Amino acid sequence: MSQRKVGRLIGSVAIMILALFAFAGTSGAIEIKRMVLSNGAVLLVSEQHQLPMVTIAMAFDGGSRRDPKGKEGLAHLTAESLAEGTKDLTAEQLNEKIDFMGSSIAVAAGQDYASAGMTSLKKYSADTLHLLATVLTAPALRDDDILRKRAEQLAELSSAEEQPSYIAERDFTKLLFGVDSPYGHLPTGGTDTVSKLTPNDVRNFYHQYYRLGGAIISVAGDVKTDEVKADLEKELQGLQGAVQPQATPPAPKVAPGEHLTKIDRDVAQATLVLGFGGIERSNPDYYKLQVMNYILGGGGFSSRLVKTVRSEHGLAYSVSSGFEAALFPGSFRVVLQTKNRSANEAVKLVIENLHRIQQQPVSDAELESAKKFLIGSFPLKYDRLSSIASFMLQVELYHLGLDYADRYPKIIAAVTKEDVQKGAREYLHPDSFILVAVANQSEAAITVASDTPHQ
Amino acid sequence: MLVTENPCYRRALRVCASALVLVFVFGRVPAARAGITDAVKAVTLKNDLRVLVLENHKAPVATLNIFYKVGSRNEQISTTGISHLVEHLMFRGTKHLKPEEFSNIIQENGGMDNAFTTADYTDYFEVINKDHLDVPISLEAERMGDFDPQGFDSEKAVVIEERRMRTEDNPQDALSELTQAQAYLAHPYHWPVIGWMHDIQNLTLRDALTYHLIYYSPQNAIVVAVGDFDGDKVIKQISEAFGSIRNGPKPPPVTDVEPPQEGERRAVLKHAAELPAFTEGYHVPNYKSPDSYALEIASVVLAGGKSSRLYQELVMNKRMVVDVDASYDRLSFDPNLFWAAAQLRPGVKTPDVVSVLDKQIAALRDHPISDQELQKAKNQEQADFVYGQDSIFREAMMLGQYEMLGSYKTLDQYLDGIDKVTAADVQRVAKQYLVDSNRTIGVLVPTGMLRHPAQGPSGGAVHHVIAGEESR
Repeated sequence: MSQRKVGRLIGSVAIMILALFAFAGTSGAIEIKRMVLSNGAVLLVSEQHQLPMVTIAMAFDGGSRRDPKGKEGLAHLTAESLAEGTKDLTAEQLNEKIDFMGSSIAVAAGQDYASAGMTSLKKYSADTLHLLATVLTAPALRDDDILRKRAEQLAELSSAEEQPSYIAERDFTKLLFGVDSPYGHLPTGGTDTVSKLTPNDVRNFYHQYYRLGGAIISVAGDVKTDEVKADLEKELQGLQGAVQPQATPPAPKVAPGEHLTKIDRDVAQATLVLGFGGIERSNPDYYKLQVMNYILGGGGFSSRLVKTVRSEHGLAYSVSSGFEAALFPGSFRVVLQTKNRSANEAVKLVIENLHRIQQQPVSDAELESAKKFLIGSFPLKYDRLSSIASFMLQVELYHLGLDYADRYPKIIAAVTKEDVQKGAREYLHPDSFILVAVANQSEAAITVASDTPHQ
Repeated sequence: MLVTENPCYRRALRVCASALVLVFVFGRVPAARAGITDAVKAVTLKNDLRVLVLENHKAPVATLNIFYKVGSRNEQISTTGISHLVEHLMFRGTKHLKPEEFSNIIQENGGMDNAFTTADYTDYFEVINKDHLDVPISLEAERMGDFDPQGFDSEKAVVIEERRMRTEDNPQDALSELTQAQAYLAHPYHWPVIGWMHDIQNLTLRDALTYHLIYYSPQNAIVVAVGDFDGDKVIKQISEAFGSIRNGPKPPPVTDVEPPQEGERRAVLKHAAELPAFTEGYHVPNYKSPDSYALEIASVVLAGGKSSRLYQELVMNKRMVVDVDASYDRLSFDPNLFWAAAQLRPGVKTPDVVSVLDKQIAALRDHPISDQELQKAKNQEQADFVYGQDSIFREAMMLGQYEMLGSYKTLDQYLDGIDKVTAADVQRVAKQYLVDSNRTIGVLVPTGMLRHPAQGPSGGAVHHVIAGEESR
C-alpha cells in the first residue's frame, strides 16, 4: 500500500504524539448524538461543520479473537479481502473510483473488533459511503483476489521477521495467553496457519461476523444527522442479524518464577518485552492503574522508567509500560530496546522499579502530576475528525456512557496514593513474569535472578 | 517503507505504524486552500524573530511550533549528527530548568511536547490545552536564550541507541542511508540526519554549545502558533517572552552544490534482513523550479493510492512486491531526490522488479498521462489539502515550512501550481529527470536474521537458545 493511502487513513492522527501515553479519550466539548438503526446497529454522530470533510468508522464483532483454532489470521485476511471489489466492480475499478474522488476506504481487523471506515470530502461523502456500504454488503470475495491477499499477508509475515519488536510481541503474546486463547496470537496470524486459509474460510467468516446487530457506526464531520442516518439505513440494509457474544476466556496467569525466552538474531540491540496478565477495560480498577502506570512507565519523560533507564543511565532510546485493557483480560508489559550488552542492566532497573512502586507510596508531586496530565490533556483527544470518530467508538464499545467526559476528571481526581500502591501490589508481579528477549544472545548473555534452564 | 527524508525524533515511537504516519505528516505537507494565509497574523520582532499566529477555534487546543533553520545540511564532515544531538540536549536543562523538567511542566499543563530534526531544519512543538499556551511560550524562550544542558554523556548514549534502533537494526533505513550517500558526493545531503556512528561517538559538549550559540538565535527561528486563542494576545505573549533574547553570530550560509550526475550509480548493502529490497533516487529540482509541480503529479500518478501505476502493476498484476512507493518532497532547502522503492515478495528477484519499474518510468517519458489520470492526481492533491487542515499541528507545519523557504504566503499558490500542470509537463519532466544516467540504485541483499526453528514457543514457560549461522 502506498504511503499516500496509508497516510490518508491515519495521517491526521498524531499517533506519534499520543503513542507514549496510555489514555482514555473523552468529549465534553463535543456533542454526540446516539441512536439505534432499525437493523440493530448503534449510530453515533458528531456534527463538525468547520471543514467540508467527513469521517466514518464502524466496528464489527469480527476481530482476531474470533479466529477459529488452526485458522489464526483469518479475521485479518477477511478484512483485507473485503475492499478488493464488489459484485459489480473489480478491485481495479473500485480503487479507481475511490482515488478519483481523493477518498479513502479501509477495512482492518484488530484484536477485539474489525473496523471499516472512510474519509472523504463532503461533496463525495454520499458516493464514498455508497462504495463502502457495497464493500460491506456485497463484496466480491473472488478466489483470485483472496489468494492474492493471502500471498501478501504471507509476504508481510516474512517482512515482519526483520522487526525485532514484532518477533518479541508475537512470542510474548503466545506465551502469556497460550495458543488456545482468543488473544493468543497477533491478528496477522502465522505462516503455518495463513498458508492453509481458503477462499471459503474467508467467505464464511464474512457471513458470520459482518452483521449489523451489535455493530457500531460513528460519524464525524460536515453532515446532518438525519440525512446520514437515512443514508446508512438505506445503504446498509443488506447486513442483518446479530453475532452471538463470545465467552470470556480466563485471565492469563504466569506461573510463579521468572520465565525467560531468548530468541537469537543478528541485531545491534536487544528488544525486551517483560510482562504478565493484566485487566479488561471494564475492570473498575482501570483508572487507578492508569494513574499508577503513568507514574511507572506510561507518562513519557515524566515516568520513572524513562527517568532511570533513559535519562539517568542512557541505556535506551525507548522504554515504556502499559496495560492493554480491552474486551477480555489482557496484559501488562514493559517494552524497551537497549544495546545487547546492557540487556541485564536494563532488566534489573525495570524490576527494581516494579518493586519500588509496590513497596513505597508514590510522592504527592508524582500523583498530582499524573492527575493533571490525565485530566488536562483530554481536549487533545478530539482535536480532529478521525480522533472524534474513534473516541465515539471507544465510548460505545466499552460502555463508557455519553457522560464519560464529565465523569472522567472526577474519577481520576479521586485516586489516592493508597489506591496507586494497592493497584501496584495487586496487578504488578515483579517475581512472576515472562521475559522475551530478541537479541544477539552471545553478546547479551541475559540471565534473570531465578533463571533455571528448562529445556 | 522507504523514506526520502527521515526526521529523527527525540522521543521513541512504540510501533512501526507510527513511523509511516511520520513519513506522511512530514514528508508530504499538503498545500492549503487559496487564501488560508489571509487569516495569519505575522510580525517580526526587533531581534528579527519571525512570529506567525493563526486562530482556529475548532477544538479547545493550541499548538506552538518553533522552527530553527538548522539541520544536518549545516553540518561538517566528522561532526555529523550534531544538529540532532543538540535537539536532544534542548530537553536536558537550561539556566532555570533541570533535565526533563521542560517536558514534565508541559505534561502537567495537559500538553505533549516533542521535537524532530531533518536535513534542513529542526522543529520543537507542543500541543496543549488552550488555557495553557503561555507555558510552552515561556519555556521555549528559556531554552533559546539560556541553554545549559546536563548529562551530556548519557544523552549521547541515548542517541547512539536511537541510531542502533532506527538504522543498524532497520534494513530499509540502512539501505536509504547508503543510497543517499551514493547519490550525493559533494552536498551535505550525503550524510544521514542522525549522523555517522563514529561521528556521534566523538561529539563533545563544546561542539553542542557552539552549535547552539550560532544556530539557536532569534534571527534563525520562526515561531508559529495555531489554535483556539486570541491571536493578538498570543503575539503579545510571544513578543514579551522572546523579545529580549540576543542574537549570536550570523550562521554561515550553506553554499555546497551537488555536481550534475553523469551516469548511473549502484550501491549494494548486505545486511541482516529477510526480504530483498531496492530503492532508487533521481536528482530533481525543488520548489524553486516550476517543474516541481509536475514532479509532484508524477509521484502521485506512480504511487498515489491503490489505483496508481506502480501499485497496479507490481502489487496487483505482477504480484512481485510487498510494498512499492514513489515519493518526492518539493519543499527541501536544496534540490533533493525523487525516490522509488520496493520491498520484494519472497522468491522474487531484484532485477525482475527493477525491469518492471523501469518500464513504468519509461512509459512516463514516452507517453503523456491520460486526462483521467491527471485529473485524479489533482483531485487527490486537493482532497489531501483539505484533510491537512483538520489538524492544527499540520497547519502550523505548513506555515512554518513555507516561511522558512521565503514566505508563508506562497502556500496560497500551491493548488494553482498543481492545477496548471498538463500531461505534456509531466512527460517533459520525466524525460528530463527520470533517466538512468541521473539515478542511483541501492540494492539490499538479505543475509538472514538467524531463523527461528519451526516449533517456536508453545505456550508454556520455555528457555531455549536458538543456534544459527554466523551471518555477518
